[in-house]
Amino acid sequence: MMVSERAASSEQPTVSDRRSVNRSMFWRLIRRSVFANRARLFVILLALGAGAAVTAALLNLQVDAKRRITGEFRSYGANVLVVPATANSTQDSALLNEAVVKVVASGPTSTAVEGSVMLYGLALVRRKSGDSLATESPEAPVVVAGHGQGDPLESGAFKTVEKAPESKFAEDPWVRMAGCNVGSAVAARRNFHVLDVLELRNGERKVDCAVQEVRSFGTSEDDQVAVSLRTAHTLLMLPGAISLVRLRVSGSPDQVDETIRSLQHRLDENENLLRRFSAQEKAFYAQYGNLSQEAMDGVERRLSGAEVRPIRQFTEGEARLYGKISGILTATVAVVLVLTALCVMAAMTNIAAERKNDVGLMKAIGGSVRRVLRIFLAEAALLGLLAGLLGAAAGMIVSIGLGKAVFGVAAQPRLIVYPVSVALTVIVAILAAYPLRRLVQIRPASVFRGEE
Amino acid sequence: MFLRLIADNFARRPRRKLLTAAALSLGMAVATAALSVSLDVGDRLAKEFRSLGANLVVTPEADSLPLEIGGVDYRPANAGAYLPEADLPRIKSVFWHNNIIAFAPTLEVQAQAWSPASRRPSSSAVLDKASLIGTWADRSVPLKDGSVFQTGISKTNPWWKTEGRWFEDDAAQCVLGSRFAEKNGLRVGDTVQVSADGHSWLALTATGVLSSGSLEDDAVLVPLSIAQKLANRPGEYRKLYVSALTKPEDDFARRDPKTMNPDELERWSCSPYVSSIAYSLKQVLPGSDVRVIRRVAEGEGKILTRVRMLLWLVTFASLLAAALAVGASSAASVIERRMEIGLMKALGAGSGTVGWLLAAEQLLLALVGGCIGYGLGLLLARFIGTKIFGVPPAPSLLVLGIVLVLAAGVTLLGSALPLHRAANYDPAPILRGE
Repeated sequence: MMVSERAASSEQPTVSDRRSVNRSMFWRLIRRSVFANRARLFVILLALGAGAAVTAALLNLQVDAKRRITGEFRSYGANVLVVPATANSTQDSALLNEAVVKVVASGPTSTAVEGSVMLYGLALVRRKSGDSLATESPEAPVVVAGHGQGDPLESGAFKTVEKAPESKFAEDPWVRMAGCNVGSAVAARRNFHVLDVLELRNGERKVDCAVQEVRSFGTSEDDQVAVSLRTAHTLLMLPGAISLVRLRVSGSPDQVDETIRSLQHRLDENENLLRRFSAQEKAFYAQYGNLSQEAMDGVERRLSGAEVRPIRQFTEGEARLYGKISGILTATVAVVLVLTALCVMAAMTNIAAERKNDVGLMKAIGGSVRRVLRIFLAEAALLGLLAGLLGAAAGMIVSIGLGKAVFGVAAQPRLIVYPVSVALTVIVAILAAYPLRRLVQIRPASVFRGEE
Repeated sequence: MFLRLIADNFARRPRRKLLTAAALSLGMAVATAALSVSLDVGDRLAKEFRSLGANLVVTPEADSLPLEIGGVDYRPANAGAYLPEADLPRIKSVFWHNNIIAFAPTLEVQAQAWSPASRRPSSSAVLDKASLIGTWADRSVPLKDGSVFQTGISKTNPWWKTEGRWFEDDAAQCVLGSRFAEKNGLRVGDTVQVSADGHSWLALTATGVLSSGSLEDDAVLVPLSIAQKLANRPGEYRKLYVSALTKPEDDFARRDPKTMNPDELERWSCSPYVSSIAYSLKQVLPGSDVRVIRRVAEGEGKILTRVRMLLWLVTFASLLAAALAVGASSAASVIERRMEIGLMKALGAGSGTVGWLLAAEQLLLALVGGCIGYGLGLLLARFIGTKIFGVPPAPSLLVLGIVLVLAAGVTLLGSALPLHRAANYDPAPILRGE
């Protein structure tokens, strides 16, 4: 309909008529050549579609994998520390205001940041009572580490040496409330075991806790007794203060650098706020830590500005690994794309070889080389499009499953991957029609004579 | 006759054969490259993971509990136990000695430092507390078998950057932590006087400034022998960092070796798990306590497993794509020769003979294409390997075998269906040209 209307409105009806006839003939030829041989169509669609599927699956997996790998680095724990700025502080034992956490958590970051707060101090520890035969032990100095609730960075960084059964805590709520985890070195030297009740003492302050777990980290945490931040605040008489914030900044190396810079900037902007407590905070902390107003002033004097420090061991090691891993992924995807192109090329050569007779006939009845070629290219593009649409969709679905197999989490389908792989398939199909160039040399006469 | 037919075919239609062989060898080249890279990648990546530093730490078993906050040890001086330096070469005599990449002993001493060269504006001569860390920078350790092992802190902590150079292990030199240097206004080439007791002073020349990104930035690194002299602990060290190539831990590796039966124990100690390496280190270093730095060791296992799985998947996908490409082209070459098949059958060849002939041809092609593809693939793998890891993967005969079997399998599979059909051709219609 469209074609005939345009033909009618045209000033040169004869040319337009011929054009429209040509066009419908063109499409008819293509339709025929595509659908005439069902078996061949199936083989070519399979080859092209498989190529498209592999491309789509791998592209999607690759886009996803780079992101996931940076997520996997999470198991290394913190890679950035926020510590008291020592540069312009004369005091040995500078502390951070707990409000640092709010500054860290606020503000836009391009990457995921999670973290935990820590407060370290010295205390004396002794065993008050043991589960069975254990007796009281003499007091000995130990480093007490106060952890924020449910430290997200700790999982996987240690091996549990001893663990009290869950049921023990269920039946004894007191044990659950004041639990502590003991580092393996402390447990070995002092012969502490799970469910022992320990007494931690700092001057007049005393806190009792039951050992829930003995953990081996291989780092200085092995020499510490871990309690809740709240317990550490009261025991060490430092309410409202923390020693450092451990952060895990995920993302590519550039994103990590960027996050560190913006974090430092935000902390510097708020430095005046962080160097003191507000009157309200001071009153609250004094009550919660059971401290006098003067003692609170002493804590306040120890507050200092914050400095963001990358743990180079991890930031640099991770950057290096990230580079290598994404290099491997890119290389393999490039290799697979080349293969896919080969696959399609082989299929298209097949078509060209089969079509000698057709081309001979077309040329004999007056088809120019360009028009014959155009028909073949259109056919290739159509096949590429069809196979690409189907194959890429299949590939995306496959990649979701593959992502699950590799990373344990289903890969998110990236919508950008779909059009890209369809386009790639079409381009490859057209490029693969390159062998058709040989059709130009076909001489109709020799075809009809049955010569090679 | 059989061989002549095949030879004749290759000679008569070289162009057609060339095309199929090219498709085959390209496909196999890619398969070779993917296989070589992914066979090699586990070991290469495991080495890369060592850039995260030591994964084992050795401390004296009888040591007192460290009281360390923010890098400052609050233990009384000289408390605790030490380990003999003379035992260290034994580390390279354990079963897993090839997996041990580097180790470095350290001995920390709290000392006073004083420098006439200080550029700090407030005072011309500075007296500062400093923790001195004695260690090996780059040391040649003679081993029992006569060979020499190069190791030191620059190998266990590869992320450490020094401006200038590391000290000589037997000279009166030191490397300043960057923050220590900044605080005291010191530079490379300055002389620093150190003393543990405040009476006898030792002059050290700063050869470099270290930036480690952690607590060492506030310290001064000195040769182990100097730290031993200052601490009055000749021939002893306190902490040893070991960097070892390990196999990711699985459930079996996490079991306690004490609960295993002899067979299991043997299997456990013959796998380079980080825990079994720790176990064997403990046996050669008497009086020591070997701990796994979980943070470093566990992340590695997880990531390595993931990347390996991903690569095998990609390799499998590329093998599949290669198979498809080769299969398609060999199918095409069989379809093309319907006329010939018809003629052969008309002359009395049985279906079996025709099938054999065509299959033999395809196999010959697969062999040639596979070999060429293997060569090309090695070049490609070399390129990729050098680009990513700086080291080309070692060519492996295993890959050649796999590639040849794959090429043969794929060509036969690709031509199986057309061959089957060819065997059933009725010669008459073909010869009539229908």
